[in-house]
Amino acid sequence: MSVFTLAQGAKEAVLLPELVALTERHRRACLPYRRILDAIGAVGPYGRVADLPWLPVRLFKTHELRSVPESAVFRVLTSSGTTGQRPSRVYLDREAAAAQPRMLAATLRAVLGGRRLPMLIVDSRSVVRDPTLSARGAGVLGMMNFGRDHAFVLDEGGGLDAEAVRGFLARHGGAPYLIFGFTFMAWSHLRELGLDLSQGVLIHSGGWKRLAEQAVDNATFRRRLGEECGLRRIHDFYGMVEQIGTVFLEGPDGGGLYCPDFADVVIRDPETWQEAPVGVPGLIEVVSTLPTSYPGHVLLTEDLGVVHGVDDGVWPGKRFSVLGRLPKAEARGCSDTAAWAAA
Amino acid sequence: MAVGTLVGQVREGEPLAVGDERIRGFIAEFGRRLLSPELARRHPELASLGFFLRPSELARILDGPRGDHLRAPRGLVFHVPPANVDTVFVYSWALSALMGNRNVVRLSPRAGAVAATITRTLQESLADADPVVAATQRIVTYDRSDAVTAALSAACDLRVIWGGDATVDEIRRHPLAPHARDLTFPDRTSFAVLRAAAWLSASAATRGAVADGFANDAYWFDQAACSSPRTVYWVGSPADCDTARDGFTACLARAVAQRGWSVDAAMAVEKRVATYGLAADGRASAIDFHGNALASVTLAGPEAAPRRWLGTGTFAHARIEGLGELAGLVERRDQTMTHFGFVPAELELLAGALGGRGVDRMVPIGSALSFHRVWDGVELTTEFTRLVTVIA
Repeated sequence: MSVFTLAQGAKEAVLLPELVALTERHRRACLPYRRILDAIGAVGPYGRVADLPWLPVRLFKTHELRSVPESAVFRVLTSSGTTGQRPSRVYLDREAAAAQPRMLAATLRAVLGGRRLPMLIVDSRSVVRDPTLSARGAGVLGMMNFGRDHAFVLDEGGGLDAEAVRGFLARHGGAPYLIFGFTFMAWSHLRELGLDLSQGVLIHSGGWKRLAEQAVDNATFRRRLGEECGLRRIHDFYGMVEQIGTVFLEGPDGGGLYCPDFADVVIRDPETWQEAPVGVPGLIEVVSTLPTSYPGHVLLTEDLGVVHGVDDGVWPGKRFSVLGRLPKAEARGCSDTAAWAAA
Repeated sequence: MAVGTLVGQVREGEPLAVGDERIRGFIAEFGRRLLSPELARRHPELASLGFFLRPSELARILDGPRGDHLRAPRGLVFHVPPANVDTVFVYSWALSALMGNRNVVRLSPRAGAVAATITRTLQESLADADPVVAATQRIVTYDRSDAVTAALSAACDLRVIWGGDATVDEIRRHPLAPHARDLTFPDRTSFAVLRAAAWLSASAATRGAVADGFANDAYWFDQAACSSPRTVYWVGSPADCDTARDGFTACLARAVAQRGWSVDAAMAVEKRVATYGLAADGRASAIDFHGNALASVTLAGPEAAPRRWLGTGTFAHARIEGLGELAGLVERRDQTMTHFGFVPAELELLAGALGGRGVDRMVPIGSALSFHRVWDGVELTTEFTRLVTVIA
């Protein structure tokens, strides 16, 4: 069953009571969260999803936020922080840990179908073997669950392993298969192969910063991979460890990212903090009903985005794009900024 | 140019005296140029710098204590100013030069537009000055190079390190000559204290002026200057303090809006992260935003005062019973206490109770950023000279 079914009005009606209940659940169970809501005077009632109090996502780097007792913590997920920053820590109990891969699978089923496909990974096997697993390694490892008969496009030294890819295509190239890689890896390496990948379904993520530096936008990315590799089924996705299991998935036509039925985005004007109208960029707030063991159900990201349209695309609901990352706040002052960041 | 050649050139040539006329003339001329309407319009902070360097002020600085001692320059002074306060290096260098020292200033390649303007103005002024000035006063820019820092450290008679704890620790790895010493300016934080009753009985004009001065103190360097106030202590009864704090915040919001101080989206998010974090820790009982430019935090108690930077325009308020309570709250790194509503005797009493354990400056609200030759508890002109005892 697809998780891209609800039109915006119906989604709002489903999500609001669930998110309100989560807000109250976390308020009861997570003392730091309760203190924040008390300090900002967030009491409800909440008439719309956009009225719910949000947490800045960076708080998961600076604070331990969980709504289950320590003894019930089943897994602690960490993000790799940028240099000098502490990583995010996300606390999952058994139930939340079980829900997240299930909902991720349900989301990806919309483009991969119900069966586990052979999988080509645009990376090197060494990224998943490194004992200090990088964010990239963790991402690859997480996605590997969705495929079988894995082959890696790069050899252990990071060089192109065309032989391995040819072998994979000889075995699986006649029917649909999954290709996964970080956006800049897919761009850098798939075109180099010079092989026909027309049966592949490319799922990619990780952001556009490095490609933007080369003036490669999503349209160019899709067109060139289509022309040079025969890839027609390409899906970007947007997600973060602080809302593990929730991904916003690009529709088949490349017209934007869509929200699964259990999640949504609110684009906020960073001056008024009100929801920005369609077409007006702002900060992306992500909401999801998956975070039950930590107060991550309504998060303000530091990413900029824009809603292109509502209920006007290939799937129902909001259709949006991520435009980039907010720069780090900088100040003048007597001391060197690096020292404050560490403080 | 090799660093050895530079040091040689700076050391060469005629001796300089404390208050050397050639240097005084040069500094006054440089200050005059900084006061030009065109520069002051683009970079208003240059005007206060130019004002500090005017001839009458220079004369006052030189008019220090005299007696059985002659003041002599220390020799070669190596200055390491912070990367992101563009004007600090001038105060440090100018006072040192005025005291007859030869100076090498390490200007960070990350220094901003204001520093570039200052350097250009300095070069223009040098062209008209006595050649001894150009030879003995040098600004160098190099990216973190241990070799250059080590050579300048070994060669200098006094090393002046601004820029915080990390910079001080890093530069200190390089040994000085046995007779030489460091003058360090580590990380400092500052606060304001107001008597609630005085605020409540003040005229609207006074309140406006205090709020405006406070905004200047805080917003000029993104509230990140060592002397910018972060915590605001209110002295008085709970009811008075609550009323005064709300009135003060409203006045401050108006002053900030009038001055056009604003913060960008990244800073707005930074402030949310910082203030929500205080609440999560149980240190803030209320957070109020007046637009993105002004955030007002009510602390759970005065001991919860945060020292770290919370983003531009974030003020943590706490109530205390009396000024003397600060004696138990102040830390070594507290530098400037800006105040309103206290008489000198009360301030002196507090200073006595603190006994040098913190707070090096008590100045009225609005004067936090006014540089003085006495800074961070030391008199710079004294630090920049040696005393020669002459008893006939």
